[in-house]
Amino acid sequence: MALDYRKCAQEIVDHIGGRDNVAQAAHCATRLRLVIKDNSKVDKEYLDNVEGVKGMFESNGQLQLIIGTGTVNKVYDEFLSITGMTAATKDDVKAAAAAKQPLWKQLLKPIGDVFVPILPAIVASGLMMGLVEALGKIPGLNFAGTDWYSFLDMVANTAFAYLPVIVAISAARVFGGNIFLGAVIGLLMIHSALTNGWSAADGYGVWYLFGNIRITDSYSLLQINQLGYQGHVIPVIIAVLLMSNIEKWFHKHVPEMLDLFITPLCTVLITALITFTMIGPVFSGLETLVLSGARVLVKNPVGAMVMGAIYPVTVVMGLHHMYNVIEAGMLSDPALMLNTWMPIASAANFAQFGACLAVGLKAKNNKTKVIAIPSALSASLGITEPAIFGVNLRYYKPFLAGMVGGAVGSIFGAVTGIGATAYGVTGIPGYLTINNIPVYTILLLVSGGVAFAGAWIFWNEDVKTPKKAEEDKTEEAAPFEQKPVITCEAGEILAPVKGNVIPQDKIPDETFATGVLGSGVGIEPEEETVHAPFDGTISSVAESKHAVGISGPNDMEVLIHIGVDTVSMNGEGFEPLVKEGDKVTAGQPLLRFSRKAIRAAKHPDVVVVLLTNSDDYKEVKLGN
Amino acid sequence: MKEIEYTINDPNGIHARPAGVLVKALKSFNSKVTIFKGDKNVDMKKLLALMGMGIKQGDTIKVQIEGDDEEACAAELEKSLKENF
Repeated sequence: MALDYRKCAQEIVDHIGGRDNVAQAAHCATRLRLVIKDNSKVDKEYLDNVEGVKGMFESNGQLQLIIGTGTVNKVYDEFLSITGMTAATKDDVKAAAAAKQPLWKQLLKPIGDVFVPILPAIVASGLMMGLVEALGKIPGLNFAGTDWYSFLDMVANTAFAYLPVIVAISAARVFGGNIFLGAVIGLLMIHSALTNGWSAADGYGVWYLFGNIRITDSYSLLQINQLGYQGHVIPVIIAVLLMSNIEKWFHKHVPEMLDLFITPLCTVLITALITFTMIGPVFSGLETLVLSGARVLVKNPVGAMVMGAIYPVTVVMGLHHMYNVIEAGMLSDPALMLNTWMPIASAANFAQFGACLAVGLKAKNNKTKVIAIPSALSASLGITEPAIFGVNLRYYKPFLAGMVGGAVGSIFGAVTGIGATAYGVTGIPGYLTINNIPVYTILLLVSGGVAFAGAWIFWNEDVKTPKKAEEDKTEEAAPFEQKPVITCEAGEILAPVKGNVIPQDKIPDETFATGVLGSGVGIEPEEETVHAPFDGTISSVAESKHAVGISGPNDMEVLIHIGVDTVSMNGEGFEPLVKEGDKVTAGQPLLRFSRKAIRAAKHPDVVVVLLTNSDDYKEVKLGN
Repeated sequence: MKEIEYTINDPNGIHARPAGVLVKALKSFNSKVTIFKGDKNVDMKKLLALMGMGIKQGDTIKVQIEGDDEEACAAELEKSLKENF
């Protein structure tokens, strides 16, 4: 059944304290990201149960609702139309959230924000590169020598060859700069007048704009290497961040009449100077350092194990897009040309798939199943957010099983030394980019299998909703026609159970019959499920499970008590389907009971329905 | 303000029916009655809220009574507790 986007969005708005409580709203590949003013107004429990919301958590000062790829944007559009908000850029959301989060997160988060929107370009390129290379490797076909190969190879590597441009545009959007100026900066950094960064080993020229003042043997003050930034990411992001800030400063200080002359000119010139003289050398050096560190870690089985284990944790923190930098760096390094990081990511992701699948297959609860199975599928294709946030992390043990599976798979990957020819894809699509298919298969089986087994063994469904209840729920999907049994000026109370209604004074118990607990009726049950008498909230479920309190419209408080003296059965024969605080709608099953068990315990099975605060109302009409 | 502490002896705790008796007894007074168990506290004049406390045998409850008829209310409550729980 297709999700009703409008309804989903409306329910979200209603339970986050309404429009006024939302500072900013944006979305990423899978999540609706909201900056909430007052968190106490957010009904988290309810939100978690909204159809379409697969999970919820707070991170980076944002309330993030996991909705899923392809769906989140539609819910987001409805969200905007309901609230009348305008689409916030990630920049706005980031800024609004910034006040709430620690500095290191403020620094790392934009990297993820920059990378998520460009993933389609990278995935397309990555898959195509994998395919073209795979074809080229088939012996006897001689595909590598054909014009087709040359053409397709060019198409495939475009996104990687000009990655700084794509990154720059995305970064300009994230940081609130003009995206065309961002594109200029990106293009500048790989300008064809510069030596291609991949050919740095062949030597390159140097410009001395500020004279040749030697700092070290190889570096003069503010020298500019005539070297492109192909394959670099961080310097590009920083340059565009700088550009955006310079641009904003000029916009603020330059008179509007001169703005179009001065602002872009000065922005580009200043950014270019600072980028090439300072940011460039410093950050490309740093990045090279980080990448070589990661590469060392990956080669070492222990390092790989650590990475495989904590990988999903970094996904939770939104840090995983940082890895694209490492992967891109590995691929653009002529000495390596192989992404040995991918097997680790794949092991970690596929382990989350395994754990999630275990939950999906083991779960008896239908709601858990319908979330876990598609989430597992998505995870097998490398998109793990739904599985991690919607399922594994929520039940906690599957997540741990996934971490163990990822660690084991990563050791295997590091020992065998396999790698990919692209990045951006893991899991099953990873087959297209991996350099050793049989070994990769074993890696997936090992990581997924270990996680599956771990989750299967250690995770147990909450026993409160056993299979029986679930089946009956569907059986009784068409409830009997509920008629009002109590009517007062505040509203109607419908019969919670099918059966013959008897007057209050005929209830075989003095306390109930005399109305000490409020006015009401008895029902001789003909079925064994108690339904909600109105739309309301469960205010109590008796410890011994034989009674449910529910509050409804206009403060009506109703006690539904099954049988007389049934407290002594200590819950035997009773099965609540709701818990305290649950919101219910009229007719919804609340509790199941066994008439046989009540009779066996020698108690009357009459269901007592009482308006416990009937004193507060003037006109209370009993019976139907 | 008056305060009462009481340990429940009834093997079934404060469950639906007798809880109603307590609430009924309290409703005839004007005082505000708040029941405490652990870190939870509710208005004791509300049956569903009281039941929601899930008070069991052996639990010690504390009740605060505040109002113009708190003396009489406290006495009645103490009597009712001893009779029923």
